Amino acid sequence: MKLTTYFTIWIKLAINSVQETFINRATSALFFTGKAIRFAMMLLFLLLLRTQLDTIGTYTTDNLVVFYLTYYFVDLFGQMLYRGVYQFGQKVRTGEFDFYLLKPISPLFQSLAGKPDINDALFLLPSILTSIFITLQLSISFTWAGIFWFSLLFINSVLIMTGLHILVLAIAIRTVDVDGIIWLYRDISKLSQFPVSIYFEPLRTMLFFIVPVGFMVTIPAEILIGNIPTFSLATTFSVGTLFLASSYIAWKQSLKHYTSASS
Amino acid sequence: MPSVTTTWLIFSTSFQERFAYRTAFFLWRFRQIIATIMSLTVWTVLFSNQTSLFEYSQNEMITYIFLVSVLQSIILTSALHNLAGDVYSGKISTLLLKPIALFSYLSIYEASDKALNFFFIFAEALVLYVIFQPIFMLPSLFELALFLVWLAAGTVIHFFITLLFGAIGFWSPDIWGPKFIFFMILDFTAGKLFPLDILPPFFQTVLYFTPFPYLSYAQTQLFLGRFDTTQIVLQSIGLLFWVLALGFAAKYVWKKSLKEYAAAGQ
Repeated sequence: MKLTTYFTIWIKLAINSVQETFINRATSALFFTGKAIRFAMMLLFLLLLRTQLDTIGTYTTDNLVVFYLTYYFVDLFGQMLYRGVYQFGQKVRTGEFDFYLLKPISPLFQSLAGKPDINDALFLLPSILTSIFITLQLSISFTWAGIFWFSLLFINSVLIMTGLHILVLAIAIRTVDVDGIIWLYRDISKLSQFPVSIYFEPLRTMLFFIVPVGFMVTIPAEILIGNIPTFSLATTFSVGTLFLASSYIAWKQSLKHYTSASS
Repeated sequence: MPSVTTTWLIFSTSFQERFAYRTAFFLWRFRQIIATIMSLTVWTVLFSNQTSLFEYSQNEMITYIFLVSVLQSIILTSALHNLAGDVYSGKISTLLLKPIALFSYLSIYEASDKALNFFFIFAEALVLYVIFQPIFMLPSLFELALFLVWLAAGTVIHFFITLLFGAIGFWSPDIWGPKFIFFMILDFTAGKLFPLDILPPFFQTVLYFTPFPYLSYAQTQLFLGRFDTTQIVLQSIGLLFWVLALGFAAKYVWKKSLKEYAAAGQ
Protein backbone atom coordinates (compact mmCIF):
# COMPACT_ATOMS: atom_id res chain seq x y z
CA MET A 1 0.00 0.00 0.00
CA LYS A 2 1.23 3.49 -0.86
CA LEU A 3 2.57 5.88 1.73
CA THR A 4 -0.08 8.45 0.72
CA THR A 5 -2.82 5.93 1.58
CA TYR A 6 -1.36 5.48 5.04
CA PHE A 7 -1.15 9.23 5.44
CA THR A 8 -4.84 9.57 4.44
CA ILE A 9 -5.78 6.88 6.97
CA TRP A 10 -3.74 8.57 9.67
CA ILE A 11 -5.44 11.90 8.97
CA LYS A 12 -8.84 10.21 9.38
CA LEU A 13 -7.69 8.65 12.65
CA ALA A 14 -6.44 12.04 13.82
CA ILE A 15 -9.81 13.65 12.97
CA ASN A 16 -11.57 10.92 14.98
CA SER A 17 -9.23 11.65 17.86
CA VAL A 18 -10.02 15.39 17.65
CA GLN A 19 -13.75 14.62 17.80
CA GLU A 20 -13.19 12.31 20.77
CA THR A 21 -11.21 15.07 22.51
CA PHE A 22 -14.04 17.55 22.03
CA ILE A 23 -16.66 15.07 23.30
CA ASN A 24 -14.70 14.67 26.57
CA ARG A 25 -13.95 18.36 26.91
CA ALA A 26 -13.66 18.41 30.70
CA THR A 27 -11.32 15.41 30.80
CA SER A 28 -9.22 16.86 27.98
CA ALA A 29 -8.97 20.17 29.85
CA LEU A 30 -7.78 18.30 32.96
CA PHE A 31 -5.14 16.40 30.98
CA PHE A 32 -4.03 19.66 29.40
CA THR A 33 -3.73 21.30 32.83
CA GLY A 34 -1.86 18.30 34.23
CA LYS A 35 0.67 18.41 31.41
CA ALA A 36 1.11 22.15 31.93
CA ILE A 37 1.74 21.60 35.67
CA ARG A 38 4.36 18.92 34.96
CA PHE A 39 6.13 21.11 32.40
CA ALA A 40 6.03 24.20 34.63
CA MET A 41 7.15 22.44 37.82
CA MET A 42 10.18 20.82 36.20
CA LEU A 43 11.20 24.13 34.65
CA LEU A 44 10.70 25.82 37.99
CA PHE A 45 13.01 23.28 39.63
CA LEU A 46 15.69 23.86 36.98
CA LEU A 47 15.35 27.63 37.29
CA LEU A 48 15.66 27.34 41.08
CA LEU A 49 18.87 25.37 40.59
CA ARG A 50 20.07 28.21 38.37
CA THR A 51 19.79 30.59 41.33
CA GLN A 52 22.06 28.38 43.46
CA LEU A 53 24.54 26.83 41.05
CA ASP A 54 26.61 27.75 38.02
CA THR A 55 28.00 24.37 37.05
CA ILE A 56 26.93 20.79 37.65
CA GLY A 57 29.79 18.44 36.89
CA THR A 58 30.82 19.37 33.35
CA TYR A 59 27.51 21.09 32.57
CA THR A 60 26.07 24.50 33.38
CA THR A 61 22.57 24.87 34.83
CA ASP A 62 21.50 26.40 31.50
CA ASN A 63 22.69 23.22 29.77
CA LEU A 64 20.37 21.22 32.03
CA VAL A 65 17.39 23.24 30.74
CA VAL A 66 18.31 22.24 27.17
CA PHE A 67 18.60 18.57 28.19
CA TYR A 68 15.18 18.70 29.81
CA LEU A 69 13.53 20.48 26.85
CA THR A 70 15.03 17.95 24.41
CA TYR A 71 13.68 15.09 26.53
CA TYR A 72 10.35 16.84 26.80
CA PHE A 73 9.82 17.25 23.04
CA VAL A 74 10.96 13.73 22.13
CA ASP A 75 8.63 12.36 24.82
CA LEU A 76 5.77 14.60 23.68
CA PHE A 77 6.15 13.40 20.08
CA GLY A 78 6.08 9.80 21.31
CA GLN A 79 2.85 10.31 23.19
CA MET A 80 1.29 12.34 20.40
CA LEU A 81 1.99 9.78 17.67
CA TYR A 82 1.95 6.46 19.50
CA ARG A 83 -0.73 6.70 22.21
CA GLY A 84 -2.30 3.50 20.80
CA VAL A 85 0.59 1.49 22.25
CA TYR A 86 -0.75 2.16 25.77
CA GLN A 87 -3.92 0.18 24.99
CA PHE A 88 -2.29 -2.56 22.98
CA GLY A 89 -1.97 -5.10 25.82
CA GLN A 90 -5.74 -5.02 26.29
CA LYS A 91 -6.30 -5.53 22.55
CA VAL A 92 -4.17 -8.67 22.64
CA ARG A 93 -5.94 -9.95 25.75
CA THR A 94 -9.45 -9.38 24.42
CA GLY A 95 -8.63 -10.66 20.93
CA GLU A 96 -9.39 -7.29 19.31
CA PHE A 97 -5.96 -7.49 17.72
CA ASP A 98 -7.38 -10.20 15.39
CA PHE A 99 -9.34 -7.48 13.58
CA TYR A 100 -6.10 -5.56 12.97
CA LEU A 101 -4.65 -8.64 11.29
CA LEU A 102 -7.66 -9.03 9.01
CA LYS A 103 -7.55 -5.48 7.62
CA PRO A 104 -5.55 -4.65 4.46
CA ILE A 105 -3.43 -2.21 6.45
CA SER A 106 -0.23 -3.03 8.30
CA PRO A 107 -1.14 -4.28 11.83
CA LEU A 108 1.99 -2.51 13.07
CA PHE A 109 0.73 0.81 11.71
CA GLN A 110 -2.68 0.28 13.32
CA SER A 111 -1.19 -0.72 16.69
CA LEU A 112 1.42 2.00 16.71
CA ALA A 113 -0.29 5.01 15.16
CA GLY A 114 -3.95 4.01 15.37
CA LYS A 115 -4.77 6.45 18.15
CA PRO A 116 -2.92 9.76 17.89
CA ASP A 117 -3.23 11.87 21.02
CA ILE A 118 -4.58 15.26 20.05
CA ASN A 119 -4.25 16.53 23.61
CA ASP A 120 -0.50 16.33 23.21
CA ALA A 121 -0.68 17.94 19.78
CA LEU A 122 -2.66 20.83 21.28
CA PHE A 123 -0.01 21.19 23.96
CA LEU A 124 2.78 21.27 21.38
CA LEU A 125 2.30 24.89 20.29
CA PRO A 126 2.28 26.53 23.77
CA SER A 127 5.21 24.39 24.89
CA ILE A 128 7.22 25.30 21.77
CA LEU A 129 6.56 29.00 22.35
CA THR A 130 7.45 28.72 26.06
CA SER A 131 10.60 26.77 25.23
CA ILE A 132 11.73 29.35 22.65
CA PHE A 133 11.19 32.11 25.20
CA ILE A 134 13.12 30.22 27.90
CA THR A 135 15.92 29.22 25.52
CA LEU A 136 16.42 32.86 24.51
CA GLN A 137 17.03 33.73 28.19
CA LEU A 138 19.81 31.12 28.56
CA SER A 139 23.49 32.00 28.45
CA ILE A 140 24.22 29.57 25.64
CA SER A 141 25.35 30.65 22.21
CA PHE A 142 23.62 28.40 19.71
CA THR A 143 25.20 28.01 16.26
CA TRP A 144 23.43 27.33 12.95
CA ALA A 145 25.56 24.20 12.52
CA GLY A 146 24.46 23.03 15.98
CA ILE A 147 20.80 23.66 15.17
CA PHE A 148 21.18 21.83 11.82
CA TRP A 149 22.74 18.73 13.42
CA PHE A 150 20.27 18.88 16.28
CA SER A 151 17.40 18.80 13.75
CA LEU A 152 18.87 15.72 12.04
CA LEU A 153 19.52 14.07 15.41
CA PHE A 154 15.95 14.86 16.50
CA ILE A 155 14.71 12.85 13.50
CA ASN A 156 17.06 10.07 14.61
CA SER A 157 15.56 10.36 18.12
CA VAL A 158 12.07 9.90 16.68
CA LEU A 159 13.36 6.74 14.95
CA ILE A 160 14.76 5.40 18.24
CA MET A 161 11.55 6.31 20.05
CA THR A 162 9.54 4.53 17.32
CA GLY A 163 11.79 1.49 17.74
CA LEU A 164 11.21 1.49 21.49
CA HIS A 165 7.43 1.62 21.00
CA ILE A 166 7.59 -1.23 18.45
CA LEU A 167 9.60 -3.25 20.95
CA VAL A 168 6.91 -2.64 23.59
CA LEU A 169 4.29 -3.94 21.14
CA ALA A 170 6.41 -7.02 20.40
CA ILE A 171 6.81 -7.76 24.12
CA ALA A 172 3.06 -7.24 24.69
CA ILE A 173 2.25 -9.94 22.10
CA ARG A 174 4.58 -12.40 23.80
CA THR A 175 3.71 -11.69 27.43
CA VAL A 176 -0.01 -10.80 27.07
CA ASP A 177 -0.66 -9.83 30.70
CA VAL A 178 2.06 -7.21 31.14
CA ASP A 179 0.76 -3.66 30.85
CA GLY A 180 3.62 -2.18 32.79
CA ILE A 181 6.15 -2.41 29.93
CA ILE A 182 5.18 0.91 28.34
CA TRP A 183 5.23 2.62 31.72
CA LEU A 184 8.60 1.04 32.42
CA TYR A 185 9.86 2.56 29.17
CA ARG A 186 8.43 5.95 30.21
CA ASP A 187 10.16 5.75 33.59
CA ILE A 188 13.48 4.71 32.05
CA SER A 189 13.25 7.49 29.47
CA LYS A 190 12.62 9.97 32.33
CA LEU A 191 16.21 9.30 33.40
CA SER A 192 17.24 11.20 30.27
CA GLN A 193 15.69 14.41 31.61
CA PHE A 194 19.23 14.87 32.89
CA PRO A 195 22.39 14.04 30.90
CA VAL A 196 22.78 10.27 30.87
CA SER A 197 26.52 10.63 31.45
CA ILE A 198 25.85 11.59 35.10
CA TYR A 199 24.62 8.09 35.99
CA PHE A 200 26.87 5.40 37.44
CA GLU A 201 28.05 2.34 35.52
CA PRO A 202 26.61 -0.04 34.33
CA LEU A 203 23.41 2.06 34.29
CA ARG A 204 25.02 4.64 31.98
CA THR A 205 26.01 2.02 29.37
CA MET A 206 22.56 0.44 29.60
CA LEU A 207 20.96 3.83 28.91
CA PHE A 208 23.03 4.10 25.75
CA PHE A 209 23.00 0.56 24.43
CA ILE A 210 20.11 -1.42 25.97
CA VAL A 211 17.35 1.22 26.15
CA PRO A 212 19.10 3.87 24.02
CA VAL A 213 17.56 6.97 25.59
CA GLY A 214 21.07 8.41 25.81
CA PHE A 215 21.31 8.50 22.02
CA MET A 216 17.71 9.71 21.88
CA VAL A 217 18.10 12.75 24.16
CA THR A 218 21.60 13.30 25.56
CA ILE A 219 23.54 13.34 22.25
CA PRO A 220 21.22 15.80 20.41
CA ALA A 221 21.24 18.10 23.45
CA GLU A 222 25.05 17.91 23.72
CA ILE A 223 25.35 18.90 20.06
CA LEU A 224 22.92 21.80 20.49
CA ILE A 225 24.79 23.30 23.45
CA GLY A 226 28.09 22.94 21.61
CA ASN A 227 29.63 20.18 23.78
CA ILE A 228 31.66 17.30 22.37
CA PRO A 229 29.10 14.45 22.23
CA THR A 230 29.63 11.36 24.41
CA PHE A 231 29.47 9.22 21.24
CA SER A 232 30.15 10.24 17.64
CA LEU A 233 27.34 11.27 15.30
CA ALA A 234 28.06 8.25 13.10
CA THR A 235 27.53 5.94 16.10
CA THR A 236 24.34 7.82 17.05
CA PHE A 237 22.80 7.55 13.56
CA SER A 238 23.88 3.89 13.29
CA VAL A 239 22.31 3.03 16.65
CA GLY A 240 19.07 4.81 15.59
CA THR A 241 18.81 2.87 12.33
CA LEU A 242 19.90 -0.48 13.78
CA PHE A 243 17.59 -0.16 16.77
CA LEU A 244 14.58 0.58 14.58
CA ALA A 245 15.46 -2.32 12.26
CA SER A 246 15.96 -4.80 15.12
CA SER A 247 12.70 -3.69 16.77
CA TYR A 248 10.90 -4.33 13.49
CA ILE A 249 12.44 -7.83 13.30
CA ALA A 250 11.36 -8.44 16.92
CA TRP A 251 7.80 -7.38 15.98
CA LYS A 252 7.77 -9.76 12.99
CA GLN A 253 9.00 -12.60 15.19
CA SER A 254 6.39 -11.85 17.85
CA LEU A 255 3.61 -11.95 15.25
CA LYS A 256 4.62 -15.52 14.45
CA HIS A 257 3.99 -16.39 18.11
CA TYR A 258 0.59 -14.70 18.30
CA THR A 259 -1.92 -17.41 19.14
CA SER A 260 -5.13 -15.39 19.13
CA ALA A 261 -5.93 -17.24 22.35
CA SER A 262 -8.49 -14.74 23.62
CA SER A 263 -10.77 -14.70 20.61
CA MET B 1 -15.58 -4.28 62.95
CA PRO B 2 -14.87 -7.59 61.16
CA SER B 3 -13.58 -10.50 63.25
CA VAL B 4 -9.90 -11.42 63.30
CA THR B 5 -10.58 -14.52 61.19
CA THR B 6 -12.47 -12.51 58.55
CA THR B 7 -9.76 -9.86 58.51
CA TRP B 8 -7.05 -12.49 58.09
CA LEU B 9 -8.96 -14.27 55.31
CA ILE B 10 -9.42 -11.06 53.29
CA PHE B 11 -5.83 -10.04 53.98
CA SER B 12 -4.30 -13.35 52.88
CA THR B 13 -6.58 -13.72 49.83
CA SER B 14 -5.64 -10.23 48.66
CA PHE B 15 -1.99 -11.06 49.25
CA GLN B 16 -2.27 -14.15 47.06
CA GLU B 17 -4.13 -12.17 44.41
CA ARG B 18 -1.15 -9.82 44.07
CA PHE B 19 1.15 -12.80 43.55
CA ALA B 20 -1.03 -14.04 40.70
CA TYR B 21 0.39 -11.16 38.63
CA ARG B 22 4.01 -11.40 39.69
CA THR B 23 5.60 -9.86 36.60
CA ALA B 24 3.35 -6.82 36.75
CA PHE B 25 4.16 -6.43 40.45
CA PHE B 26 7.92 -6.74 39.96
CA LEU B 27 7.79 -4.24 37.11
CA TRP B 28 5.89 -1.83 39.37
CA ARG B 29 8.54 -2.15 42.09
CA PHE B 30 11.34 -1.78 39.53
CA ARG B 31 9.75 1.44 38.28
CA GLN B 32 9.75 2.83 41.81
CA ILE B 33 13.51 2.18 42.11
CA ILE B 34 14.23 3.90 38.78
CA ALA B 35 12.61 7.15 39.93
CA THR B 36 14.56 7.04 43.20
CA ILE B 37 17.86 6.34 41.42
CA MET B 38 17.27 9.38 39.23
CA SER B 39 16.65 11.70 42.18
CA LEU B 40 19.57 10.33 44.22
CA THR B 41 22.00 10.53 41.27
CA VAL B 42 20.94 14.04 40.30
CA TRP B 43 21.42 15.34 43.84
CA THR B 44 24.75 13.52 44.22
CA VAL B 45 25.97 15.26 41.05
CA LEU B 46 24.50 18.61 42.11
CA PHE B 47 26.54 18.43 45.30
CA SER B 48 29.76 17.45 43.51
CA ASN B 49 31.04 21.07 43.58
CA GLN B 50 29.00 22.29 46.59
CA THR B 51 28.83 21.63 50.30
CA SER B 52 25.40 23.23 50.77
CA LEU B 53 22.38 23.79 48.53
CA PHE B 54 19.01 25.26 49.51
CA GLU B 55 20.21 25.02 53.15
CA TYR B 56 20.73 21.26 52.86
CA SER B 57 24.04 19.47 53.18
CA GLN B 58 24.71 16.60 50.77
CA ASN B 59 24.09 14.02 53.51
CA GLU B 60 20.82 15.67 54.50
CA MET B 61 19.57 15.80 50.93
CA ILE B 62 20.56 12.21 50.04
CA THR B 63 18.98 10.97 53.28
CA TYR B 64 15.87 13.07 52.56
CA ILE B 65 15.43 11.59 49.05
CA PHE B 66 16.15 8.09 50.34
CA LEU B 67 13.63 8.37 53.17
CA VAL B 68 10.93 10.05 51.12
CA SER B 69 11.19 7.26 48.53
CA VAL B 70 10.75 4.60 51.19
CA LEU B 71 7.82 6.47 52.74
CA GLN B 72 6.10 7.02 49.40
CA SER B 73 6.35 3.28 48.74
CA ILE B 74 4.31 2.79 51.92
CA ILE B 75 1.95 5.77 51.83
CA LEU B 76 1.19 6.09 48.12
CA THR B 77 0.92 2.46 47.02
CA SER B 78 -2.65 1.38 46.53
CA ALA B 79 -4.54 -1.63 45.27
CA LEU B 80 -7.62 0.51 44.68
CA HIS B 81 -6.53 2.46 41.59
CA ASN B 82 -9.31 0.88 39.57
CA LEU B 83 -11.99 1.43 42.21
CA ALA B 84 -13.87 3.98 40.05
CA GLY B 85 -13.84 1.53 37.15
CA ASP B 86 -15.24 -1.20 39.41
CA VAL B 87 -17.97 1.18 40.58
CA TYR B 88 -18.89 2.30 37.07
CA SER B 89 -18.93 -1.23 35.66
CA GLY B 90 -21.03 -2.47 38.59
CA LYS B 91 -18.33 -4.87 39.87
CA ILE B 92 -18.63 -3.21 43.27
CA SER B 93 -22.06 -4.90 43.70
CA THR B 94 -20.31 -8.15 44.67
CA LEU B 95 -18.59 -6.36 47.53
CA LEU B 96 -21.81 -4.69 48.66
CA LEU B 97 -23.45 -8.09 49.04
CA LYS B 98 -20.75 -9.39 51.38
CA PRO B 99 -21.51 -9.48 55.12
CA ILE B 100 -18.82 -6.91 55.89
CA ALA B 101 -18.86 -3.12 55.71
CA LEU B 102 -17.46 -1.91 52.39
CA PHE B 103 -14.94 0.49 53.94
CA SER B 104 -13.66 -2.27 56.26
CA TYR B 105 -13.20 -4.61 53.32
CA LEU B 106 -11.39 -1.98 51.25
CA SER B 107 -9.17 -1.03 54.22
CA ILE B 108 -8.03 -4.63 54.73
CA TYR B 109 -7.53 -5.05 50.97
CA GLU B 110 -5.41 -1.90 50.91
CA ALA B 111 -3.44 -2.91 54.02
CA SER B 112 -2.60 -6.25 52.39
CA ASP B 113 -1.18 -4.46 49.35
CA LYS B 114 0.88 -2.17 51.54
CA ALA B 115 2.23 -5.14 53.50
CA LEU B 116 3.41 -6.79 50.28
CA ASN B 117 5.04 -3.59 49.06
CA PHE B 118 6.63 -3.08 52.48
CA PHE B 119 8.31 -6.47 52.18
CA PHE B 120 9.95 -5.46 48.89
CA ILE B 121 10.87 -1.97 50.08
CA PHE B 122 13.36 -3.51 52.52
CA ALA B 123 15.27 -5.26 49.73
CA GLU B 124 15.17 -2.19 47.48
CA ALA B 125 16.22 0.14 50.28
CA LEU B 126 19.20 -2.10 51.01
CA VAL B 127 20.37 -1.89 47.37
CA LEU B 128 19.95 1.90 47.31
CA TYR B 129 21.67 2.17 50.69
CA VAL B 130 24.73 0.32 49.40
CA ILE B 131 24.92 2.53 46.28
CA PHE B 132 24.26 5.95 47.79
CA GLN B 133 25.17 5.39 51.47
CA PRO B 134 22.86 7.88 53.18
CA ILE B 135 23.78 8.71 56.78
CA PHE B 136 20.93 8.41 59.26
CA MET B 137 20.72 10.26 62.53
CA LEU B 138 17.95 8.58 64.47
CA PRO B 139 15.49 11.07 66.00
CA SER B 140 14.55 11.08 69.68
CA LEU B 141 12.15 8.42 70.94
CA PHE B 142 9.31 10.96 71.07
CA GLU B 143 9.96 12.10 67.50
CA LEU B 144 10.22 8.48 66.34
CA ALA B 145 6.87 7.66 67.95
CA LEU B 146 5.32 10.79 66.43
CA PHE B 147 6.86 9.89 63.07
CA LEU B 148 5.06 6.53 63.13
CA VAL B 149 1.78 8.27 63.97
CA TRP B 150 2.30 10.75 61.11
CA LEU B 151 3.17 7.88 58.79
CA ALA B 152 -0.09 6.16 59.69
CA ALA B 153 -1.98 9.44 59.26
CA GLY B 154 -0.41 10.00 55.82
CA THR B 155 -1.46 6.49 54.79
CA VAL B 156 -5.01 7.13 55.99
CA ILE B 157 -5.15 10.47 54.11
CA HIS B 158 -4.10 8.75 50.89
CA PHE B 159 -6.67 5.99 51.46
CA PHE B 160 -9.47 8.56 51.82
CA ILE B 161 -8.29 10.40 48.69
CA THR B 162 -8.35 7.07 46.80
CA LEU B 163 -11.93 6.46 48.04
CA LEU B 164 -12.98 9.93 46.87
CA PHE B 165 -11.52 9.27 43.42
CA GLY B 166 -13.28 5.91 43.43
CA ALA B 167 -16.60 7.64 44.08
CA ILE B 168 -16.29 9.49 40.76
CA GLY B 169 -17.19 6.13 39.19
CA PHE B 170 -20.76 6.54 40.51
CA TRP B 171 -21.25 9.50 38.18
CA SER B 172 -18.78 9.25 35.33
CA PRO B 173 -16.44 6.80 33.57
CA ASP B 174 -13.93 9.63 33.03
CA ILE B 175 -11.79 9.12 36.11
CA TRP B 176 -8.37 9.57 34.49
CA GLY B 177 -8.60 13.34 34.01
CA PRO B 178 -8.85 14.23 37.72
CA LYS B 179 -6.45 11.43 38.68
CA PHE B 180 -3.89 12.64 36.15
CA ILE B 181 -3.90 16.11 37.69
CA PHE B 182 -3.62 14.61 41.17
CA PHE B 183 -0.61 12.49 40.20
CA MET B 184 1.06 15.38 38.37
CA ILE B 185 0.78 17.61 41.43
CA LEU B 186 1.76 14.74 43.73
CA ASP B 187 4.82 14.03 41.61
CA PHE B 188 6.33 17.37 42.57
CA THR B 189 4.66 18.26 45.85
CA ALA B 190 5.14 15.05 47.80
CA GLY B 191 8.81 15.81 47.37
CA LYS B 192 10.49 12.85 45.64
CA LEU B 193 12.61 14.95 43.26
CA PHE B 194 13.14 17.87 45.63
CA PRO B 195 11.98 18.91 49.10
CA LEU B 196 9.17 21.46 49.18
CA ASP B 197 11.13 23.95 51.24
CA ILE B 198 13.35 24.78 48.26
CA LEU B 199 10.30 26.29 46.53
CA PRO B 200 9.53 30.02 46.82
CA PRO B 201 7.58 30.83 50.06
CA PHE B 202 4.37 31.59 48.13
CA PHE B 203 4.25 28.06 46.66
CA GLN B 204 4.94 26.53 50.07
CA THR B 205 2.14 28.52 51.70
CA VAL B 206 -0.33 27.47 49.00
CA LEU B 207 0.74 23.82 49.23
CA TYR B 208 0.24 23.75 53.00
CA PHE B 209 -3.46 24.41 52.34
CA THR B 210 -3.56 21.06 50.51
CA PRO B 211 -2.98 17.50 51.79
CA PHE B 212 0.03 16.98 49.47
CA PRO B 213 2.83 17.85 51.95
CA TYR B 214 1.40 15.26 54.36
CA LEU B 215 1.90 12.42 51.87
CA SER B 216 5.58 11.91 52.81
CA TYR B 217 7.28 15.33 52.87
CA ALA B 218 6.25 16.31 56.42
CA GLN B 219 7.04 12.84 57.82
CA THR B 220 10.53 12.90 56.32
CA GLN B 221 11.28 16.38 57.65
CA LEU B 222 10.19 15.26 61.12
CA PHE B 223 12.48 12.22 60.95
CA LEU B 224 15.39 14.42 59.86
CA GLY B 225 14.76 16.79 62.77
CA ARG B 226 14.15 19.79 60.51
CA PHE B 227 10.96 20.87 62.31
CA ASP B 228 11.01 22.92 65.52
CA THR B 229 8.36 22.45 68.23
CA THR B 230 5.99 25.05 66.76
CA GLN B 231 6.20 23.44 63.32
CA ILE B 232 5.62 19.98 64.81
CA VAL B 233 2.45 21.23 66.53
CA LEU B 234 1.22 22.99 63.36
CA GLN B 235 1.94 19.98 61.16
CA SER B 236 0.20 17.67 63.63
CA ILE B 237 -2.88 19.91 63.51
CA GLY B 238 -2.69 19.94 59.70
CA LEU B 239 -2.48 16.15 59.56
CA LEU B 240 -5.38 15.72 61.98
CA PHE B 241 -7.46 18.20 60.01
CA TRP B 242 -6.92 16.38 56.71
CA VAL B 243 -7.58 12.96 58.24
CA LEU B 244 -10.89 14.20 59.66
CA ALA B 245 -11.90 16.34 56.68
CA LEU B 246 -11.12 13.73 54.03
CA GLY B 247 -12.54 10.91 56.18
CA PHE B 248 -15.80 12.83 56.61
CA ALA B 249 -15.88 13.75 52.91
CA ALA B 250 -15.25 10.15 51.80
CA LYS B 251 -17.94 8.80 54.12
CA TYR B 252 -20.46 11.45 53.06
CA VAL B 253 -19.80 11.10 49.33
CA TRP B 254 -19.98 7.29 49.40
CA LYS B 255 -23.16 7.32 51.50
CA LYS B 256 -24.87 9.73 49.08
CA SER B 257 -23.54 7.89 46.02
CA LEU B 258 -24.60 4.44 47.20
CA LYS B 259 -28.17 5.74 47.62
CA GLU B 260 -28.15 6.59 43.89
CA TYR B 261 -26.31 3.42 42.86
CA ALA B 262 -28.32 1.27 40.47
CA ALA B 263 -25.76 -1.51 39.87
CA ALA B 264 -25.85 -0.76 36.16
CA GLY B 265 -23.95 -3.26 34.08
CA GLN B 266 -24.57 -6.17 36.45
